[in-house]
Amino acid sequence: MVRELQAMAALFERDPGSLVFLELGEELRRMGRLESGVRVALTGLEWHPSLAEAHDLYARILVDIGDLDRAREVWMRVLERHPRHVGALKGLGFLSFWDGDVDTALDRLETALGVDPTDYTVVQALMTVRAAVEASEPASEEVAVDSVFGGFEGADEGMLLVSDRGRVLGGRLRGRDAEDVSEEAAAYLSGAAQEAERTSRMLGLGAWRWMVAEAADGNVHVSSPDPETLLLVVRDRSVPAGRLAVVAERAGHAARSWLETSRP
Amino acid sequence: MRRTRAVEAWTVEPLDRFVGETGARLTLLMTPAGQVLAQQGFTRAVDVMASAALGAAIFSSTGAIARMLGEREFRALNHQGRQYGVFLGALDAPRGKLLVLVVYGPDSSLGLVQLFFADLAEQLVVAAPEPEERHGPILAADFERELDESLASLFGR
Amino acid sequence: MTHPYVRLLEQITRVGGVRGAMLVVADDGLVVAESLMVGIRGAAIAALAASLTRRFAMVTKTSTVGELGFLHLQGEDGTLAIVPAPTGVLVVAVGGSDMNVGLARLEMLRIAEVAR
Repeated sequence: MVRELQAMAALFERDPGSLVFLELGEELRRMGRLESGVRVALTGLEWHPSLAEAHDLYARILVDIGDLDRAREVWMRVLERHPRHVGALKGLGFLSFWDGDVDTALDRLETALGVDPTDYTVVQALMTVRAAVEASEPASEEVAVDSVFGGFEGADEGMLLVSDRGRVLGGRLRGRDAEDVSEEAAAYLSGAAQEAERTSRMLGLGAWRWMVAEAADGNVHVSSPDPETLLLVVRDRSVPAGRLAVVAERAGHAARSWLETSRP
Repeated sequence: MRRTRAVEAWTVEPLDRFVGETGARLTLLMTPAGQVLAQQGFTRAVDVMASAALGAAIFSSTGAIARMLGEREFRALNHQGRQYGVFLGALDAPRGKLLVLVVYGPDSSLGLVQLFFADLAEQLVVAAPEPEERHGPILAADFERELDESLASLFGR
Repeated sequence: MTHPYVRLLEQITRVGGVRGAMLVVADDGLVVAESLMVGIRGAAIAALAASLTRRFAMVTKTSTVGELGFLHLQGEDGTLAIVPAPTGVLVVAVGGSDMNVGLARLEMLRIAEVAR
């Protein structure tokens, strides 16, 4: 890596207008050589004042230095020009989380996930924020599980209501060792639903209604109770796909009722 | 968000749509001579120049093989690595043939790239302006200046 | 002469409501063999079915229910069914909203076994 860094530094010295400063600056940041990183980022910005990635790099280094206010200003400026810039959304999400403003953090990160559902760093960041919310508010989560799917068998282990941006609204999904996997499943669910929508549209199947999957250890049913939410129901193989569809249909009704009463 | 950077603005919308649908990591729209019209995903000018030159060279050399086989040309080529694939496709725009070089990762596939490349080709043909008449011979100095201007557009320099 | 894979696929297309069946390379989303009614876009089905399978496999993986064995997408006007075979090939069937999915699934699973 040192050799690559030297090569990048040499290239940057020869041609300070080259975009190699993005890689060089990021590498210096990772190595903790923040002063050098700032110098590289600022030089890059002089040559490329309108390059969003350059501002994003500068903001990330500012965060590492501890100058969070300036980092926020830089990312806000990026977002003004590029409202769907994943780096800026992720950075501002992090800063909001740092400030304790969890709602804004989730909003930023969910928007980022909507822009690029395959970005694993966004998924990770979302899981971190949501896990922190869960840890600090266990009582409110219990309310969410009960209030959406109260009375449904398996509502706290195999039923999940998710926003189209991958945010858990109710229910819970547990893994093999009873660990909570709701957040991760929710994040990937929105990507699968987007794909289902595209597939149905392009193949002339009409609006997609539901998907059901049979897997080695269980069956999975995905539907969309309303245009902005997704419902995931998971059961073991003893519940056949047909019965799973009936359970999902009833859970969908419950979700719609809950959404009608809980939306402003 | 990854954005298309273009020398010619009419290429941006079709390329943005193509990248959104396929999840391509890098995309380069160029002439068979290697002159870049738009790029998406590249962060270094040197990579764009090298890729454009190599892409044009690959198209040219496989064209020679195609002619040996009695084909006029190959319309598309694919090289598949363990993680990444490289797709090189040709399309006929009003001002002549254009090449598209696409690098895609494991979250996409050759099938998706091929599927949406057909749409991209159609959209680029519709969006392309009529060719301008060019007066006088093309000089080396003009080429250098055009290259500098292209790189400035592609990287906001 | 009809390719043996196409003859296998015709067992799926005989099922009520099925308009086409194909074998698709899961990683590439490309057609290996197909038996389709006129007007059905095989390349589009192959690419999109492979992409949907990849995305949905992430959901089943995080839901810890194990390997995906059968996927059924139901639209207002049509149906898409996919069986991933262990060899990295997908058996895909597309049909109307009236497609007999149960019967098609059985044929698809059988062909996935043969495609080993």
